[in-house]
Amino acid sequence: MIAAALSARRWRRVFLIFALVVAAYALLAPLTSLDAAQSAGVPLLADKLWFRIATLIAMFIVLATAWNIIGGITGYAAFGNVAFFGIGAYTTGMLIAKAKWPFAAALPLAPVVAALFAALVGLPLLRLRGHYFAVASLGVGVAVGELVQNIDYGGQPVFGGATGLFLPIYAIANRGLFFFYVMVGAAAIAIAVTWWVLRSRFGYGLIAIRENEEAASVLGVNTTAYKVAAFALAAALTGLAGGIFSQWNVFINQDNVFPIEYNVQMILMALLGGTGTVFGPAAGAVLLQLLIQFLGGSLPISLDIPFVSASARPIVAQIILGLLLVLVVIFVPRGVIDFFGGRARLSLAYLRRSLRETSL
Amino acid sequence: MAYFVQLVIFGLLAGGVYVAVGVGFGLVWGVLNIVNLAHGALVITGGYLTWQLFTAFGLDPFLTLPVDAVALFVLGYALQRGVINRIIRAPLLFTFLLTFGVNLVIVNILLMIFGSDSRSVNPAYSGQGLEFGSIVIPYVRLASLAAAILLAAGLAFVLNRTRIGLAIQAISSDRDAAQLVGIDLRHAYAVTYGLGAACAGVAGGLIALIQAVTPTAGEPYTLLAFVVVILGGLGRVSATVVGGLAFGLVEQFAQSIPGSGSVFANAIAFGLMVLVLVTRPQGLMGRLR
Repeated sequence: MIAAALSARRWRRVFLIFALVVAAYALLAPLTSLDAAQSAGVPLLADKLWFRIATLIAMFIVLATAWNIIGGITGYAAFGNVAFFGIGAYTTGMLIAKAKWPFAAALPLAPVVAALFAALVGLPLLRLRGHYFAVASLGVGVAVGELVQNIDYGGQPVFGGATGLFLPIYAIANRGLFFFYVMVGAAAIAIAVTWWVLRSRFGYGLIAIRENEEAASVLGVNTTAYKVAAFALAAALTGLAGGIFSQWNVFINQDNVFPIEYNVQMILMALLGGTGTVFGPAAGAVLLQLLIQFLGGSLPISLDIPFVSASARPIVAQIILGLLLVLVVIFVPRGVIDFFGGRARLSLAYLRRSLRETSL
Repeated sequence: MAYFVQLVIFGLLAGGVYVAVGVGFGLVWGVLNIVNLAHGALVITGGYLTWQLFTAFGLDPFLTLPVDAVALFVLGYALQRGVINRIIRAPLLFTFLLTFGVNLVIVNILLMIFGSDSRSVNPAYSGQGLEFGSIVIPYVRLASLAAAILLAAGLAFVLNRTRIGLAIQAISSDRDAAQLVGIDLRHAYAVTYGLGAACAGVAGGLIALIQAVTPTAGEPYTLLAFVVVILGGLGRVSATVVGGLAFGLVEQFAQSIPGSGSVFANAIAFGLMVLVLVTRPQGLMGRLR
């Protein structure tokens, strides 16, 4: 018993050190691409492609962590969070492209607009439960994307229409590096917010709602206000990521800021890492996004899949992703953070227990 | 007036396909409590099967429908027995993700086999129709509506008049009690999903007649099935029939509003769905459970 506890603690420590090293490398390595560092003879540890992927990973850390607030902590299976990402992106994009606002002034409005929208649709939607909420939120996600692309005023598309919206390129030295750190900042905010939520009265209220909504209500939790606040908070963080994305990517349209796949990816990341925890969704985001990039062949390290031609690779990658989704859901339903956190050991018995718990 | 009649007729005809898409989805949702995100992939698998039989053997598309049903039943049965039964007691999010994964696998396998080219099924009679004054009703559409109604009636018959159908209904009202009276849950669940998949296959065969078939063409139909089932109300085949026809009508009328057009089809569908969910969650025909 004591040995087990000791080994668990040791595991935890090993994992923590490993995570810190990886995080430090990811945060500092891009700095070696600066001209000053290069001329001083520092070896190049991360090129532009790498920190483009790293920025994407940071973005998904925000999305997965934000989803965790409504989906993991409050227990409402939101399936349309991508709407907030798109709303944030279009808010910042429109202010910069049409109203000529500077990026620094336009960005703070992205979370505000996304949160207001979430509060507005949340009031009716959060009365629904279970599947009904999931489906209705999915519907909102799809409908918002379509409206944004198709709304015309006086014959002119308001939001750039089907061709999308082009933003002026943000004039700053080392743009890629700048947006990487901005996105990492957003990820840090998302994680800090989650950390605060889990320690606050607000967070206890949300957990109470997840466990038993009627009981929470009887105990004096204003469930409507709590749920809407959690939804709006998740929307604000998601909208923030969208706002940064719009200026980083310079071009936004329905396909790149309202993709339905993102809904599933952010949930899968949170599940893979562990819902309801502070760092779980972030860990899941790193793992899954790296895997997606790896399967898509975007990473410098890549693997030739035998018997598969180069042209069929993206398709095979999708099939592998689908199978992985199925396997994770069946065998690791509580997320991989169980193993790293020292709460469980990856073993045949663990897999068998997961299977038995949910099987017919 | 003629225009109004035309809208009603075309709405009902379009609704026929929605009925076919909705009944299988509603059955799986109502009995297994699974929102089957792979439904669209199963639908389009049926579409490809019809296309394959039509182009390779010159089989009449309507005659391929039973083949679609049998093939998809087998696939659905195996899928439920082998995979979905494993997570049947997990929280709903897991069933969402699992069926999404299944969807991803099926769509990409289709992409591998058939490529991304669009395929269409055009029998010799596809251009002809019944003429009523200025209104022309294509035979294909009319036969599709008839086939969809037959499909729904057949499903209702299986559920209400056969042993396995009654077992399925027993499970949907009380799983534990059903097990106590000796119903083999694993088998009954697999049959339920198989029936749902068979309906999806037939729907796919009908869809192949009216639009191009591509591997991703089924995805909108998953969302559509949601709307139809919610609109009618969960738990009865007849409610889904009403939901499907009602949705066809709403869509036709909404698209005829000047300045609207088909680009807002999804927005209208989901706007309507959210409205129904919030104001009348049990659906037009549903009973509170």
